[in-house]
Amino acid sequence: MSTVPTRTSRRLGDLPIALTFLLPALLAAVLLRLWPTAKAVWDSLRSTALGVEPTHWVGVEQYRTLLDDPAFLNSLKITLLFGIIVNPLQIAVALALAVLFNERIRGAGLMRTLVFLPVAIPQSVSAVIWAVAFRPDGPLNGVLARLGIAPQGFLTSPGQALASIIVVVSWIGVGYWMMFLIAGLKEIDPTLYEAASLDGAGRWARFRGITLPQLRRQLAFVLVADTISNLLVFAPVQILTGGGPNGRTDLIMNNVFERAYVRADAGAAAAGTVIVAVIALAIVLVQFRLLSKGSD
Amino acid sequence: MVVLGSVIAVLFVLPLWWAAVSALRPQRETFATLSPVSLWTLLPRGLTIGNFDRLFDAEFGRALLNSTVVTVATLVIGLAICATAAFALAVLHFPGRGVVFAVMVVSFLIPFDAIAIPLMSIFRDAHLENTYLALVLPGVGNGFAVFLLRGFFLGVPVDLAEAARVEGLGWWGVFWRIYLPLSRPALIGAGLILFVFQWQAYLWPLLIAPDPEMTVAPVAIAQFAGQQGVDFGAIFAGAVLTALVPLLILLFFQRYFTQSVSSSGLK
Repeated sequence: MSTVPTRTSRRLGDLPIALTFLLPALLAAVLLRLWPTAKAVWDSLRSTALGVEPTHWVGVEQYRTLLDDPAFLNSLKITLLFGIIVNPLQIAVALALAVLFNERIRGAGLMRTLVFLPVAIPQSVSAVIWAVAFRPDGPLNGVLARLGIAPQGFLTSPGQALASIIVVVSWIGVGYWMMFLIAGLKEIDPTLYEAASLDGAGRWARFRGITLPQLRRQLAFVLVADTISNLLVFAPVQILTGGGPNGRTDLIMNNVFERAYVRADAGAAAAGTVIVAVIALAIVLVQFRLLSKGSD
Repeated sequence: MVVLGSVIAVLFVLPLWWAAVSALRPQRETFATLSPVSLWTLLPRGLTIGNFDRLFDAEFGRALLNSTVVTVATLVIGLAICATAAFALAVLHFPGRGVVFAVMVVSFLIPFDAIAIPLMSIFRDAHLENTYLALVLPGVGNGFAVFLLRGFFLGVPVDLAEAARVEGLGWWGVFWRIYLPLSRPALIGAGLILFVFQWQAYLWPLLIAPDPEMTVAPVAIAQFAGQQGVDFGAIFAGAVLTALVPLLILLFFQRYFTQSVSSSGLK
């Protein structure tokens, strides 16, 4: 253990010891993430259609077929529509709740925990609870009946099914994202607010002038992490609607899962998987852009 | 403010409250009080533990045990793997550190659910189906946990490590005796991330562990909604039991969780 490094050790730095520290994580990264990703790409370039013919190279044929399939295109469209609505909604609500529960109000800690609770429960369980809530004879329609409103179809209504999924997914996710934003709020220097108050800035002006810019990094992170988790929503869809009615809630993961397991079309499922992974990675790259800009 | 906050908190917890109440009453009572809605929708009349009986007749205890074993193993192994990697990436100097970091980031940020299907066929080829190992492995490497810990480690003053090195402490000693004890909040935060990932796991266990012996709690509960109708009482009872563990942990660690995320700055 020399404190004066030789020339070789200076060039290699702490490489040998660093490798032992890194090895388990690197193995996990390569075996559990990169290999299956490579396998998905490889499978997607070959035909494995139902064992009728031996597996052979088909190039981008799977992608062409998939992108010509109206059901897949519909699924992309639904996923995009879902994302456009659910992401801003969740972030706005999470931000509003973070600001509210960051105030010095009595019992704020308990309230935070209650809002955070749904994320601690398996999504399959949340989905089953909401499935009852949305029933034709369920409590939501019961409340509507009290208010003199006709019963709604919710999950079975083509116009309401996606909105119902959005409600469930947001109920689950909003508290989780709120926690990251609260953590960001706690980092803001209180003297900034004091100075602004002395200058006569109102509540809204302080929010826009201090809170939002100071929270930029956390907001960028939440935006992208939330977008990815919403891209991958699966259990609530599978349990609540199975993608129906008429494909109105057929989010991309549900579509890929069905191709793999209901229709046993491994090639198409692999191509779908690659497309999902590419979309997700594109979102992650945007994350790094935003984060590196945020730290300037 | 207090009123607004309370109303929101109650609205969020209402579905869970209703599920908990419904777990403790006969199923017909649950549905008889659904519509029209009344106070009795949210308050139990005539308590019963029949729902829990049916749940445990269906080996739910086994599923809950499986979930616990898998989650605890993930926590211990995952924290070890993520913390050592984060330490190397934050503290040690070696050629190619940037490249290793990039590989790690990119690979862990490939969404796991998206590659679950190809990963399943790899695990099948390795005959890992229906094993605890197969359930635990995908949860142990978590990009976000590595980020959290690396950010925290970067904030530890370098002088501490250097002084210890001069005194003859090896890097493992520095990691174990200096960095880990200082990083308790970050470790709790990373632990919670790993915990939530594994406790929530649904798609992967559904794919890789179809054997009833190996079923985890979320999958077991979903199975009460089968082809022969839905046993809501048992589902709610299962939901209550499944929620209880994270609830206690969250109430206990919530303060640390916020702290650790903020002090790491999500770097």
